[in-house]
Amino acid sequence: MSEFLMIPLYFDPGLGAMIAQAVVAAAAGILLFSKNVMYKIKSFLGLIKEEEDQYDSIDIDDEDAK
Amino acid sequence: MPNDVSEASHVHEASFRDPSGYMFWDGDVLRRAVNPIYFPQYKKLQDSGFFETLIKKELLIPHEETLVSDDKIVLTPEPIPFITHPYEWSFEQYKHAALLTLQIQKYALSKGFILKDASAYNVTFHKGKAVFIDTLSFDFYEEGTPWRAYKQFITHFLGPLVLAKFHGMDMIKMMQSHIDGIPIQLIASLLPGKTKLSSVLYTNIHLLAKMEQKHHTDYKAETKISKISKKAQENIITSLFEYIKKLKCEEETEWGNYYQKINYNDTAFKAKKDLIQDWVNSVTAKKVIDIGGNDGTFGRTIIDDVDELLVTDIDSGAVAYNYQQLQQNGETKMLPFVCDVLQPVPGIGFNNTERDSLIDRLVNYKPDVVMALALIHHITLSGNVPFEKSAAFFAKFSTHLIIEFPKREDSWVESLLVRKREFKEHFDFYRWESFEKGYESYFKIVKKEFIADSNRILYLLENRTK
Repeated sequence: MSEFLMIPLYFDPGLGAMIAQAVVAAAAGILLFSKNVMYKIKSFLGLIKEEEDQYDSIDIDDEDAK
Repeated sequence: MPNDVSEASHVHEASFRDPSGYMFWDGDVLRRAVNPIYFPQYKKLQDSGFFETLIKKELLIPHEETLVSDDKIVLTPEPIPFITHPYEWSFEQYKHAALLTLQIQKYALSKGFILKDASAYNVTFHKGKAVFIDTLSFDFYEEGTPWRAYKQFITHFLGPLVLAKFHGMDMIKMMQSHIDGIPIQLIASLLPGKTKLSSVLYTNIHLLAKMEQKHHTDYKAETKISKISKKAQENIITSLFEYIKKLKCEEETEWGNYYQKINYNDTAFKAKKDLIQDWVNSVTAKKVIDIGGNDGTFGRTIIDDVDELLVTDIDSGAVAYNYQQLQQNGETKMLPFVCDVLQPVPGIGFNNTERDSLIDRLVNYKPDVVMALALIHHITLSGNVPFEKSAAFFAKFSTHLIIEFPKREDSWVESLLVRKREFKEHFDFYRWESFEKGYESYFKIVKKEFIADSNRILYLLENRTK
């Protein structure tokens, strides 16, 4: 998308915060991966109780918006 | 609302930071102008169906293109009758606003966009739900770049939520003194040491605070920013989403358990309810605000007769319980928020006008009926506010005021008076006769009824000064 200019920043994103994201992402990746593995093991052993919550999923489905 | 002629002077007071566009008042209608610098983004967002999907999902406020020219595009968003600020939300509402922001950022990423800012003021509550209101908050995603609104998300959302979890809802009020989010060092220093053991809190708060501290003197911008993949960014967003979804604030979750609905027997409750319904209908009220309305129990008795109902309470637990109920019932007219009448939200930000005070918003909102049920004894006896002063307060934004006066014999009043100990006599003025006298110069009494089987009087007052 680099053919378009990005909007100039009107607040300081924080240099530390920009750098930290690589580490934060790595930790988040490990966390999500291990949760996923635990979920698979638990469901294989039949230990999963489906929990209902009132929150929407993070994913927005294009299809049913049409 | 300004009333000069030039458009520049009509620009919304909070709309000056982002060069992409601005909000302005066109008479009574709030519109959004898009500047040419933002045309490429805007056109892509509009043409690709990005806006359309978010609007259909009720995640983004709907808008119409009112004017398209070479140097300006004007959008007219669906009007939002009353804007609430982050420091007026209950924990659950705050959480929903945070989750909505992450949801939108993840969707934007998948479509080649990003949220270019993640301010809590981009969200408000409308028709019973959190809705994103800053239509121009999107920019193109550039492969490999970190999310530049990340720190803002932490200082506007994750930080305040986690602080409230550990220290209670008063922490949310810190947003009032920090218009651009609670400083990251401050959040880190206020969190208990055990939060360093949480991988989410360690990385997103403690590590972030350290990195910010380390690099804040890089005045020449020499440090290289490493690239991060889109997948890595999605991981950050998803893990924050999962974490925030599970956050709880004990102060609020315990509330519903001990709450004894009302200090009334059935006869008094019904008598009061009938009077209120009757009076609200007699003035054909469409916009009603119930101040100190607890969890909305009384508000709901008239909800079918009105178009909009704002219910405030000082206790965020009551507000959260109300919010939970409105979600369960799918109510769209009810808007609950936190308000301390003795200390209403001030105007904050640059020039004190970026975020309106509660009173300014109420004056502009022009409610048809203001209800203050079982509130005056708190204002007068807990707040030591003389009747003339509370009358002046209500007169600022009320045309009709339904006010309930608990007499000295009422058990709540008795207990408030007993607590005054040797100063009890100082409050001898707390009688309905002096109440009427104090309110006289601002309001005239239209109706006055003694509520059956209780020690309370219900008044319908009409503002003389409007």
